[in-house]
Amino acid sequence: MRRIGPKITLMHEMAVTQQILSLALAEAGKVGASAITRINLKVGEWSTFEPTCLEFYFGILARDTAAADAKLAIETVPVTYSCGDCGERYQPTGVAVLCPKCCSTHTGLVSGREIYLDSIEVEK
Amino acid sequence: MKVPIMKNVLAANEVIAEELRTWFESTGIFVVNLLGSPGAGKTTLIEQTLERAGDRLRIGVIEGDIATSLDAERIARHGAPVIQINTGGACHLDAAMVRNALGQLEVSYLDILMIENVGNLICPAQFDLGESTKVAICSLPEGADKVLKYPAIFSAVSAVVLNKLDLLEHVDFNRINFKLSLAELNPSARLMELSCVTGDNLEEWLEWLNEGVYKAKQQYPRGGESRSPA
Repeated sequence: MRRIGPKITLMHEMAVTQQILSLALAEAGKVGASAITRINLKVGEWSTFEPTCLEFYFGILARDTAAADAKLAIETVPVTYSCGDCGERYQPTGVAVLCPKCCSTHTGLVSGREIYLDSIEVEK
Repeated sequence: MKVPIMKNVLAANEVIAEELRTWFESTGIFVVNLLGSPGAGKTTLIEQTLERAGDRLRIGVIEGDIATSLDAERIARHGAPVIQINTGGACHLDAAMVRNALGQLEVSYLDILMIENVGNLICPAQFDLGESTKVAICSLPEGADKVLKYPAIFSAVSAVVLNKLDLLEHVDFNRINFKLSLAELNPSARLMELSCVTGDNLEEWLEWLNEGVYKAKQQYPRGGESRSPA
């Protein structure tokens, strides 16, 4: 039996916020921006990433970067299923994922798990 | 000025996970990502599996915990190859940690690789490890409402093990509600109700594992790429 670790990260939101910030800074660099004013992020309801927590870490991690004054704008993406039988797309009520149109159980999640960097707004 | 980006923030993890999946598939290993709360019985289920099937199936184990190698020591007593990953605070395993572990565990000859994730019903579902399948284990004392409270996990798994069935008379657990909410949320999930203490119904779990091993081998017969990606 062997051991690996430790890998020092606190809560998964911190690592993922760092990832968002790095992506945003890299893209801002590509267009020669001097500052990022806004980061538009889409976060699925079932992504397991908590917006308040992302904002908290963002405030800390963005200090002394070109995104220091940026607003982290988080849009929540609702859980959406689609039916494999009739093609209906719907947002399940509670956890019931049965197709509300044809009652099929052949349904699958199409969005609501993602965490997606949509766009940034920058100053030249 | 608005700059469109449209990038998946978890892409870095998913790239590594896909690389692992391709390799696991090419070697015909059935890889189980086992998720559940602390105390649900994840390690005990693996121990029981080793005890009952260890002589006919070659099973390796990756143990994920925030701290200590206690779980890996339990597994090692059964003679199975095991590696402990200590995440040092991180609440889930990610694909890079698994890739790193594979460098230290000889897995290419295995039938099954069991990855015991960090005990947590929230984020482990979100981090793909390249596994063949995700399994959630839940136990009676946790309460029958867990499916409703943690839909992200229970909707992402292909099987659910309901453990500690021997406590049915001693705890307030509404089995019907548990089954109904799982059927509503994830109708295709296979539910296996068992007790790792008495051994009741463990055959069903072993049979389910056997089917997985069979499928993994059928789809990708041994003899493919055997070099580990680590």
